[in-house]
Amino acid sequence: MKELERSFYSKASMYSFIVVVILFFSIWVGTGQFTKVGWMKFGYMVSSFIFFIGITVRLTAWLMRPATHEVMKRTIQNMKTTKRQKRNVKAIVKTLVDNIILQKFIFKRGIYRGIQHWLIAWGCIGSLAITFGLVFGWMHFRLVDATTYQLVVFNIPTITMHPDGIFAQLVFNGLNIAAAMLLVGLIMAIARRIKNHDLKVTERAEFDLFPLYLLLAVTVSGLLLTVSFKLLDGWMHSTIALVHQITVVIFLVYFPFGKLFHLPIRPMAAAVPMNYQETVQVDTKECIGCHKPYSNDDQIADVQQMLGNQAFDLKMKDGNHPSDYCPACRRMLRVMNHLNIKSPVGEVAEEPVQTNNGIHIPGFGRRRAESFYAQSVKEEK
Amino acid sequence: MKKIMYLEFERCIGCRSCQAACRECGGHDAKERNYVEYVDFLESRQTFPMMCMQCKDPACARVCPANAIQITDDGVVLSAMEEKCIGCRNCTFGCPFGIPKFDFEENKMYKCDMCYDRTKHDIAPMCASVCPSDAIRFIDHDEMMELRRKRTQLNLIEGKKPSENNKWQYVPEFFGVYSD
Repeated sequence: MKELERSFYSKASMYSFIVVVILFFSIWVGTGQFTKVGWMKFGYMVSSFIFFIGITVRLTAWLMRPATHEVMKRTIQNMKTTKRQKRNVKAIVKTLVDNIILQKFIFKRGIYRGIQHWLIAWGCIGSLAITFGLVFGWMHFRLVDATTYQLVVFNIPTITMHPDGIFAQLVFNGLNIAAAMLLVGLIMAIARRIKNHDLKVTERAEFDLFPLYLLLAVTVSGLLLTVSFKLLDGWMHSTIALVHQITVVIFLVYFPFGKLFHLPIRPMAAAVPMNYQETVQVDTKECIGCHKPYSNDDQIADVQQMLGNQAFDLKMKDGNHPSDYCPACRRMLRVMNHLNIKSPVGEVAEEPVQTNNGIHIPGFGRRRAESFYAQSVKEEK
Repeated sequence: MKKIMYLEFERCIGCRSCQAACRECGGHDAKERNYVEYVDFLESRQTFPMMCMQCKDPACARVCPANAIQITDDGVVLSAMEEKCIGCRNCTFGCPFGIPKFDFEENKMYKCDMCYDRTKHDIAPMCASVCPSDAIRFIDHDEMMELRRKRTQLNLIEGKKPSENNKWQYVPEFFGVYSD
């Protein structure tokens, strides 16, 4: 791997290259050696490539962050340990069902938010899946005879269906169903953004609002296509198709670099029950100050490793790290140090933790105006 | 932002109005993000208030595997972004001051953001605006430096442990973000 990596400019470019090759190969297989490429969808195809390259670059950069790297290292290590297999499978299945498919934790933040997010999330995932499936030719439909349609996946003929059957209607209207879900979710989300003033504290137009309006443009123009050929006899169909293509291209190019990037990183939530807290709110490691459980050994080891890798020197006088104490003891230790009281649970470092990293030096390090010194001299007298 | 937060722990009378005020702040979802605790309950009833230091290089953000903890242009360290936070609680263990709180129900971390919507317009954060004993203050840098200078002199006169070399470590803390 190291040899291969050296022949590329960077890790990100290597992985991007691999992803592009795989995608290209999948098109080659899916379209029967490029015989059935939908050239109508060429714009979508180019932006889909940008989408996948963007995701790969972002994910590579994200995995290189010291904290992420540490968590992934422990995850891979635990995956390889035969003793933990039962816990691993349980963690992955539980995260997949509770966290990703049902999104229970968002419903706990509010039913409204839960419904809104679930609709947008599955509308997006559904329509992305159909889009990539059609654009890369991973699946297409074939007419077997006058009343039979067949779904062809990766050039392998699969299920057959009657074109007027319920299943066929569901498949043909997949994008419309996803768009309807999206439309409801988006209207709910935009209404929440307008009504709820608490959200404006940290709201950023380019981060929180732009993706909403962009998705709305994609959804509405997509649904208008159906309206156009079903109800209006194809009125303005080609214009709407072009507008839809433009919005989708912007969406696909934007996806890896904005708010929606939280989708590909979500599966890492499985690392929490897998590596750290097997059952929610059950801690196993005791605080060395108050002897109450507050965490577990693996997590504290990881946190200390991450801080060490990033040149944080938080070691205290007694040789412990602040993370060996529970948060309440940590707060108490710090205050006791500042009030010049000897703490019964441990000795803190002589130097207070620097929170300003030399960017600002407290105390006399900063030269002030002459009048300031004159005043303090006067006060001393 | 030109002003800074200044804490004097021994001024705290334990009324917890800062916590009540914190619950009222926009976006705090009726949950307080600061602490009022006893220094050593067996010795005295002295309490202390505690807020986030808004570090320039925050340990909580550095140990976040999802890159969810963001810092604003002014330097305020915000709560974990709800869409990114995977709920691992690394930040609560990485923070040397024990500040971030964790909500197991909603699976997200929340922490003192210095009432960002107020302080970005130089309005005192909720806690500082209600503190009756001035244990929490939101003041100018110059005013703060003068207060600290007085404290060091007082500490030296009273013959406490600090010496000339390290006297700055024994004065109340100031924090927050400001630019010259």
